[in-house]
Amino acid sequence: MLEMNPAPVLVEDMIALTQRLYHEARLLDAERFEDWLELLCDDVTYRMDLKRRRFRADRSPPAAVGAGVVFNENFARLKLRIDRLRSGYVWAEDPPNFVRRVISNVEIEPADAENEVIVHSVIVIHRNRIDGLARQFTAGRTDRWRHGTQGWCLAARDIALDHAVLPDSNINVFF
Amino acid sequence: MRIERIGREPEFSQYMDLKEGWLDRRIFSDAEIYEEELYRIFARSWLFVAHESQLPKAGDFLTTHMGEDAVIVARQPDGSIKVFLNSCPHRGNKVCFADAGNTRRFVCNYHGWAFDTGGELKGMHEEYCYDEIDIDRKKNGLKQVARVAGYKGLVFATFAEDGPSLDAWLGDFRWYLDMLLDNEEGGTELIGGCIKSVINANWKFGVENFIGDAYHAGWTHDSGCRSMNNGEPFPPVDMENSYHASVNGHGWEFGTEGVGDLFLLGRPKVMEYYERIRPKMAQRLGEMRSQIFGSVASASIFPNVSFLPGISTFRQWQPKGPMEFELKTWVIVNKAMPDDIKDEITKGVMQTFGPGGTFEMDDGENWSNCTTVNRGVVTRHERLHYRCGISRQIEHDTLPGIVYRGQYNDANQRGFYQRWLDMMEADKLDAMPERPEPRLTGVSETRDVPGLFAL
Repeated sequence: MLEMNPAPVLVEDMIALTQRLYHEARLLDAERFEDWLELLCDDVTYRMDLKRRRFRADRSPPAAVGAGVVFNENFARLKLRIDRLRSGYVWAEDPPNFVRRVISNVEIEPADAENEVIVHSVIVIHRNRIDGLARQFTAGRTDRWRHGTQGWCLAARDIALDHAVLPDSNINVFF
Repeated sequence: MRIERIGREPEFSQYMDLKEGWLDRRIFSDAEIYEEELYRIFARSWLFVAHESQLPKAGDFLTTHMGEDAVIVARQPDGSIKVFLNSCPHRGNKVCFADAGNTRRFVCNYHGWAFDTGGELKGMHEEYCYDEIDIDRKKNGLKQVARVAGYKGLVFATFAEDGPSLDAWLGDFRWYLDMLLDNEEGGTELIGGCIKSVINANWKFGVENFIGDAYHAGWTHDSGCRSMNNGEPFPPVDMENSYHASVNGHGWEFGTEGVGDLFLLGRPKVMEYYERIRPKMAQRLGEMRSQIFGSVASASIFPNVSFLPGISTFRQWQPKGPMEFELKTWVIVNKAMPDDIKDEITKGVMQTFGPGGTFEMDDGENWSNCTTVNRGVVTRHERLHYRCGISRQIEHDTLPGIVYRGQYNDANQRGFYQRWLDMMEADKLDAMPERPEPRLTGVSETRDVPGLFAL
């Protein structure tokens, strides 16, 4: 629904955050994972929930316990993933895959905390894998970015992956 | 159900010699062999279709596949479970596109034919266009599978009217299965939903990886292990006290150290939980099984279900052509566990063997390349080596099945392909050999066999 009176967001913030998203995408495309980590708050949460295709009229409750998640990460877990990628033993990434992220539909709105904003965006990830196999993921993202002494840092990311069946054997990429 | 292709071309023994230990690569990519697999294996095996816990109430349903045949699995008002084709008898359209849910009716999108949750035709759009002589509703329901049966929470179905009962199909493998399904009072449940992913590989590569390929773990998953384990690689396996066990194509490879897979899950609370219930598990299942559970282990149920006991990933490899399968993964836990343990296990599974997990990410690429490289017209005629541990078969007082010593082994894989061959060549399921002769015939509950029986 169109917000008729959206709370104003400063043009400078708009530009700074949009640039952050683009920058982040470029760091990840270039496998500069450690630099990317520096854009994250220490208390960052990074989630991708599992979705199911259900009838619209189906009102039965979703599973209460252990609701499925593909990613449910904190800073340490993200770092562990990066350590793994850096271990030199990831055969499936050697030679490296070509990965390119496209970020779009950036929309910013105020958050509850004064130094935070909510940032909506869409990400499309192209992967060209071993033997030239090309795959594409599309997802919506809802982020919370926090302004501190380092500028804007990512405090939370919820990823809504738009695939009922993952079109690849793994999702070994950061969204 | 008559499978009219059976009996046409029983020349599949040319594709392997399991005493010598080799396979022909064409079974992993040839379209005609794949088509025969759908008839001879998938249309005649007992196939996993659901876990009871996914369908707690009347009207609960889920959609899945038996081979490439789409089916609906639905809980009936009387508590029973029915399985029928997800295809309208009018023009063949799919009648249910949801993954799961609760409903009173399945209504076809095309002409509004409506079926109840038992698959019976209950009504059509503009019914007046049919004269009485045109249609017998009783005969135009959704086609039911031949048989449905359950084993400790797992629901299986088969299109074959003849052939073994589910208990006989699982046979002595129930002794192993109970370590997963019955290690604590109350049984198991699947939680957290199902993740589906597409892998460009032959379905058998997934099954054989879980049925016996402990060998790949230390190399393929080196990066995952080091990241979970302070930079340390997998420890070498104890070849003296670890085993392969194969029963009619089902297989379980395992150590007896009790903690390896629990450690890989990376969740100390879960480890503590199992250590707490282990004495009870020993009373329940016998000393031997309580030592096996939690060890580095993996298993498959013929033809296409696999799991890691201790790590709690449970999965099915659904064939989608010779060079593609859909992988469905769930998390399996004990119902009796407190919610926080279930939650820990769910997180642990997703972080290790979910599609974004630190171990899972390494596998798909290998299976995919094992499959697609066989397009080469010369390559496809080269044999594959399946000879590891070929002379290490032993007789074991406690362990049922065809048992080989040493977890690094191709024995269970050979057992799987032997069953594959038996089914591909058998005109009648009843004529298939038992491999090995069962010990537990007539035993309805493996808990009554407290880990030891005389040979």
